[in-house]
Amino acid sequence: MHYFGFALFLVIFTSLMATASTRRRVAVIAVTGVLVSTIVVAPPAAEAQTSIVQAIQAVLNVIKGVIETALNGINTVRSAINSLFQTFVWPVQLINQAKAQITQMSNRYRTRMAGIINLKLNSATLPAPQSLENLMRDHRVNNFNTLTQSFGAAYRPIPSMSDASQADREMSDMDDALALDSLKALKVSDNATDAELKIAESIETSASQSAPGSAPFLSATAVASSIQSQALTQKMLAAELRQEAAHIAHDNGFRKRGAAFTSQLRGAIVNLLQHN
Amino acid sequence: MKMIRSLLQKGRCWTNTHKVRVLIIAVVLVLAAPWPARGQYVDPCCALLSAGLASITNALQSVIGGGLNSILATDQSMQQFEQNVVWPQNLINQARALVGDLQSVFNQIQFLTHMQVNSATLANSQQLESNLLSRNPNQIGQTSGNYASLYGQVPLATDASPPMRDLVDMTDAAAQDAMKRAIEIDALSDLELQAASQINQSIQNAAPGSAPIIEAQADAWLVRANAYTQAATADLMRLRAIDLANASADIKMGATNTTNLRQQLMNLLQHN
Repeated sequence: MHYFGFALFLVIFTSLMATASTRRRVAVIAVTGVLVSTIVVAPPAAEAQTSIVQAIQAVLNVIKGVIETALNGINTVRSAINSLFQTFVWPVQLINQAKAQITQMSNRYRTRMAGIINLKLNSATLPAPQSLENLMRDHRVNNFNTLTQSFGAAYRPIPSMSDASQADREMSDMDDALALDSLKALKVSDNATDAELKIAESIETSASQSAPGSAPFLSATAVASSIQSQALTQKMLAAELRQEAAHIAHDNGFRKRGAAFTSQLRGAIVNLLQHN
Repeated sequence: MKMIRSLLQKGRCWTNTHKVRVLIIAVVLVLAAPWPARGQYVDPCCALLSAGLASITNALQSVIGGGLNSILATDQSMQQFEQNVVWPQNLINQARALVGDLQSVFNQIQFLTHMQVNSATLANSQQLESNLLSRNPNQIGQTSGNYASLYGQVPLATDASPPMRDLVDMTDAAAQDAMKRAIEIDALSDLELQAASQINQSIQNAAPGSAPIIEAQADAWLVRANAYTQAATADLMRLRAIDLANASADIKMGATNTTNLRQQLMNLLQHN
């Protein structure tokens, strides 16, 4: 662009000088040409070298000032976070100590507690009760029929129709049924309790080898097991509710029948007195 | 060629006759001519620039490079610590595997709770027992009918005194409430067992960062389960309270009956 302007200026200026007719015109064109060439066409003056030095120094000042300070600050903060994690949040020594404590407590308590829960509690002395007691406490869920038979042997079957009223037979059958239901539910519960104890042992063993990052998995599954345990407790409570309800219903049945008998007796006495 | 020679001849003649003008044109040409760029290697300005750039390079290497290297070293240390101590992949996989193994125990317990325990042998007791063990809240509506079929109705007003009828009705109500609650609790505990199993399955697919969220959900379920256990316990306590109240009522009614009998005997003796 600059060269094009110079060429254009040269052509115009030369042609004007060549065609100028008087000396006065030559002088005017010459002065004008000098002015135009120095002000418009000539390249701009170069800047002073000292401004480059100042610019470089400014960049160096930024690097050694703001950036160095910032990097030092970041490094200080990250070192502090690292130190915080390693010495305060997750100190390896305390992590290992916790794991060792789990192992130590497992070794100390597990066998003793298992020994206590597995103590034989059987107390019956006669054959039929002994058989029932064994079946009630064997934690097995595949011998319900044997339990029913053994229950019948210990408590006898319900009276025959010739020996008891229908109401008595039904009430006795219901009492026996709910008692048996509870005994079966307790066998199920005992079996499930064994499974829960295995879960607890597995979780504890795994916790003794875990890391802070894997422990939440174990906690979560332990809580899920607790929900299951609560559900089983509720099943037992439901069985207990049925049993207790049948118990007071039984007593109440006697009251109802007492009222009916009293009413019948009153009628019989009135009839008797009238006949006399 | 002739034309060029003629033009050069004319130019030479014009130059000889207009020496001042040629001089002026030459001066202006010199003034206005664009100067070539200065060589970078010989210009003192470029030497300064080169020294400055070298200083900047040194500063970048020592200050920024050194600082970044320190940060990198710290980050690498943190990464190693977190990978090896806090979240070691092998231990996380082990924990997940354990959760997977426990799922089979969860399923086993769920299976156990669905075992049939029905034991009644007569029609009415079978019907009531079947209703009580149904785990189906929709069958609660039939409980009272089945109960009455087995245990009978409240005595008629002609057959029993009002206090006795009240006592019998209250006792029946408490017994039926408890039976209905047992059906509810069975149904709820079934749902809790399903939820526990589902939660355990989701833990198997969780990340270390999402496992606590699932744990929080499991905690909430545990709180809920505790509440249901308390509800069942409350009904059990109600039953026992009614049983105790019945024992007391028996004493009270016995006392009343004795007083009435004594009064009637006295009346009878006075008449004779």
